[in-house]
Amino acid sequence: MEYVVETHALTKRFGNRTAVDRVELRVPRGSAFGYLGPNGAGKTTLIRILLGLLEPSEGNVSLLGLPQPQERKRALARVGAIVEEPRFHAYLTGRQNLTAIAAARGAAAGARIEPALERVGLRGRADHRVGTYSLGMRQRLGVAACLLADPELLILDEPMNGLDPGGMHELRELLRSFVDEGRTVVLSSHLLDEVERTCDAVAIVDRGRIVAQGSLAHLTASGTRRVRLATGDEVRAHKLLAAAHEVREVARDERGLIVTLQHGAAAGPATARLVQRLVAAGVAVYRVEPGEATLEQRFHEITARLGHERDEEGERDVLAV
Amino acid sequence: MCSPSDALRLVRAEIVKLVTRRGLVAAAVLLTIGTTVVAYAILELLHLGDPAKHGPAGGTQNFVNATWLLTQLGSIAVILLGATAGAGDLGAGFFRMLVVTGRSRLALFAARLPSGLAVALVLSAAEFALVAAATVLLAGGKATPSPALLVQSGLWIVAYMSVVYLVAVGLASLLGSRSTTIALLVGLQLAVTPVLQEVHGLHVPRELVLGVAVWQLAPRVVQAGAPRSDLAMSQGAIAAVLVGWVAAAVVAGAWKTITREA
Repeated sequence: MEYVVETHALTKRFGNRTAVDRVELRVPRGSAFGYLGPNGAGKTTLIRILLGLLEPSEGNVSLLGLPQPQERKRALARVGAIVEEPRFHAYLTGRQNLTAIAAARGAAAGARIEPALERVGLRGRADHRVGTYSLGMRQRLGVAACLLADPELLILDEPMNGLDPGGMHELRELLRSFVDEGRTVVLSSHLLDEVERTCDAVAIVDRGRIVAQGSLAHLTASGTRRVRLATGDEVRAHKLLAAAHEVREVARDERGLIVTLQHGAAAGPATARLVQRLVAAGVAVYRVEPGEATLEQRFHEITARLGHERDEEGERDVLAV
Repeated sequence: MCSPSDALRLVRAEIVKLVTRRGLVAAAVLLTIGTTVVAYAILELLHLGDPAKHGPAGGTQNFVNATWLLTQLGSIAVILLGATAGAGDLGAGFFRMLVVTGRSRLALFAARLPSGLAVALVLSAAEFALVAAATVLLAGGKATPSPALLVQSGLWIVAYMSVVYLVAVGLASLLGSRSTTIALLVGLQLAVTPVLQEVHGLHVPRELVLGVAVWQLAPRVVQAGAPRSDLAMSQGAIAAVLVGWVAAAVVAGAWKTITREA
């Protein structure tokens, strides 16, 4: 697999505080990649290092296969990025702001202004002052600024921040369309739901360290096992299942019972034993299917487990996903 | 750093940023062309109202006075332009948007020098042209400056405004603050310099003041219109002081632009 962003043992310290801690990040080409973590987890610091705005204390960075910071100019020529939030001159129009950025990008970028404005849906407001734009319009203008590079890679820091549901939907569609064109989109966010809807792969970061990384499907399928059961007597089934030692929790929804297995329990054999127990007790089992975990559930599982381990052992652990 | 065409594009973009800032342009035009028009209009109206008491608005003496006014208010306009060119992108958060393009920071800084200077010199030249025209056209029977004096004075104004602009843009790039730069330089120009100019006992320290040294370059006739000064600096000393101010400000501004956290 080809990676457009690779870091090795990347570390950034500010005095005694470690903002980025031995990060091993690998972003597959052509994917929408979420860098997910709570506020203060070191997401923006990592992005600033990737873009050469901050020097790492230790470790290596490669962007589009080019070592940084040695090949910074070559790499950034094909990278569009927004750090923290897109900032523009409020008294200039959208088009004038883009022209100023295009001037820094080089000759070819000027010709991309109109298509970029069209792409983000701002052509009709391009000659209005940015001071009159809504936050969502400024975010879209920021994306247009990224497109001036005809980027192979877009790096967006919390792009959904402050957007209303409609704005989020529009931006999500736009980002997915970039991926469909073969571009890679890296977005940092603390909004789990948005990352889950937008991204193919994620890295979960906690206190500067990547604690889980992989495809979204892999990540949500791993970890705590869940089994969904449809039975003939949900009340009895609930009682029987809750008493089983393999089971951590039993919940109920409109489709039946959701059984969360104990951590470390092998899903197949444990499920077989549970079904056997129900059938032996005379409860009819109509359907058994694997239950999916949401990214949010996985995120909380991982961060909660790490917190527990830290409390117990006084040290951090990286989870293998 | 970058090709000439890339550099030209950057300079053009910087000019657009300056000239589309309506408040800045209005203030700069008011401080340069506006004050000159008002000053000559008042002088001419006074003359027309009472020719016996008030002489014609033109002529050499009023040219000298108008040139002094031009340097004082014109330099404030140039300070505004320099401070905006040096710190405008930073203040708006736009500097980071430019840095992440991968363009060299030195190129970004370098573009600020000719862009604002061009705007400053166009305004100063327009103002000086007005002064020169009024001096000749409204002279009545009074003596007028020779063409040589007009040319010398014009070149001196260009030098004066260039030095002030470059110091302003360098200082603003160093400090990262438009308002602090304006306060410091206007204070230096309008408060510190006139006071130091009159402290005769200071000698060399006084010669190091930007506003003192630059006045030493003025044609003799124009110098007579400035506040009294007993200084007589050599051409070498004047050049050293002015080059020193410009070099220090520009190098410090470039260094900070390169090393600043974006």
